Amino acid sequence: MSARLEIDRVEAAYGSTRVLKGVSLDVAPGEFVALLGSSGCGKTTLLRTIAGFMQATAGEIRVGGRDIAREPPDKRGMAMVFQSYALWPHMSVAQNVGYGLRLKKWDRARIDRRVGEILTMLKLDGFGQRNVTQLSGGQRQRVALGRALAVDPQILLLDEPLSNLDARIREDVRHEIKALQKSLGITAIHVTHDREEAMVMADRIVILDAGQIAQVGPPETIYNAPNSPFVAAFMGATNVVRFDAERAGETIQVAPGASNRAARLSRSGPQGFARGKLVAHFRSEAAELADAGADFADSLMLPGKIVQAAYPGGIWRYSVAVGDSQFLVDAPEKRALGDAVAVRVPADALHLYSAGAS
Amino acid sequence: MGPNRNISILLTVPALLVVALLFIYPLGFSLVGAFQDKAGVWTLGNFGRAWELYRLDTAFTVVIVLVSCVLIALMSIAIGGYLTLGESPLAKSILGFLYRWPLFIPFIVAAQCMRTFIARNGMMNMTLVYFGILDLDQVQGFLDWRGIVFTFVWKQTPFVALMVAGAMAGLDRATIEAARNLGASRLRILVEIVVPQVSRTLAVGLVLSFVTMMSVLSVPLMLSGQSPSMLTVNMAWRINSVGDYGTANALGFVSYLMTGFAAWFYLRHGMREKAGQ
Repeated sequence: MSARLEIDRVEAAYGSTRVLKGVSLDVAPGEFVALLGSSGCGKTTLLRTIAGFMQATAGEIRVGGRDIAREPPDKRGMAMVFQSYALWPHMSVAQNVGYGLRLKKWDRARIDRRVGEILTMLKLDGFGQRNVTQLSGGQRQRVALGRALAVDPQILLLDEPLSNLDARIREDVRHEIKALQKSLGITAIHVTHDREEAMVMADRIVILDAGQIAQVGPPETIYNAPNSPFVAAFMGATNVVRFDAERAGETIQVAPGASNRAARLSRSGPQGFARGKLVAHFRSEAAELADAGADFADSLMLPGKIVQAAYPGGIWRYSVAVGDSQFLVDAPEKRALGDAVAVRVPADALHLYSAGAS
Repeated sequence: MGPNRNISILLTVPALLVVALLFIYPLGFSLVGAFQDKAGVWTLGNFGRAWELYRLDTAFTVVIVLVSCVLIALMSIAIGGYLTLGESPLAKSILGFLYRWPLFIPFIVAAQCMRTFIARNGMMNMTLVYFGILDLDQVQGFLDWRGIVFTFVWKQTPFVALMVAGAMAGLDRATIEAARNLGASRLRILVEIVVPQVSRTLAVGLVLSFVTMMSVLSVPLMLSGQSPSMLTVNMAWRINSVGDYGTANALGFVSYLMTGFAAWFYLRHGMREKAGQ
């Protein structure tokens, strides 16, 4: 059983510090939404406010149309999986999973049956009598998930549940959680600071910045069409170049600047843009390295020299000094430090914003 | 590694000497004394006399200390529980400020306070009479075993509460929130989630309190002079008034067995828990 979650102009504060500044979000039944943002952006506060561990100072939180913003955590039809797993070390796996059912005063046989089903679903058969302290991180995480799912919540809240797992297990568990959520059709809110995790798991991503929603959308939209320099940088387009430009029909004429050569780009620029300063963000993998003198049509060319090289696997990652700026660029070929090169950024790899947009 | 190891052994010698001379030697001396008469002949006569004269007091001592331990456990769980799970920051800070005071009051002063507080015409009764809760002809004094228990609990609860509250504060808050999230009441969270996780600390506090209470002379002496009394009073009496070190040592041996049992119980529990993990 899943439910629609509506968050309507919710505000929350720690003492006099406002952490959530009017957040509104609709989550459809069965949808998987990831709250993504850097530390201190308010994503965990939003989750804890939804869960009822923090009181909203304003706004409404509705589940299936019913405002639950003033209800205690257990009356909200939600179950939470914690970052630390929060398993009770003095209880066995089965006791941990069955605790919520015991609180609901189910009889022993029914609890045993349900716990058995959950353990089978989570591939934890035979672990029921183990102490949770004897389990690996991945297994503990699954027990925590089982404990939350056992009570059949309408909404599942996940507070960075994978951040304590090592990288290899994390990838497996990502897919397991996602598959489980789809098969149960449960509404899920997932807090993470891991961009890739959000991209892989969520139907929609909510980017939070300083207690407000910066952008909401499917992963591909957030990735390909970030609506602000902040979202662009957060989604990995960390190379930033500023230049003067002028709109010419369906193209933009870029004036030569401290970093860039003159160029004509087949882009219309930000909405309403006619002339002025633009800020362009691009990803290291969307750019290419070209020889110093080379010129390409429909591309922004940034001449400079290689000052650092690293091999993260598969490609080379170069740091190219251009004027006072440095850009990261991925390239398949090995080049020497000090080589004069030109960074080529194709027009469609640029995320363009008017300078002054935040 | 060789010379280093010798040096480290050498470094422990002063400490070992202090322990041996100031602790093991007097303890062994009094233990041996329990099995010797005045002429130094081996005998069980001291234990015979101790049994004959003081078996009731021995039982009395055990009951008082155990009842006190149970009450101390309940009170410190309640205090620690409120400090951990309570929702009023003001009440929490007042409680956190107040509960430690008795820690800084010596047993003898505590006993003296209690004499004036819980006597028949003491402050407690007079206050209750003043507020009309008790009639003057209904009042009774508590200067007996109840007074001893009251004072022990009053004096030792802060110590155990300090340890327990510290352990509770160190718990992963998420384990509490997870239970709350599933619908557990605060009392259930305290009993089923919090206390089991701090049970070792609680046990340590209680064992230490048990040993402390077993060795307090001033409180039973001042609050309950009449028979039955606690073993410490009997030992003081045998030594100070009768000059009978043998029986006193035998009573000391019995006390030592009791505290030794408490220590063994605690250690066994700790070992089992370790093996379980």
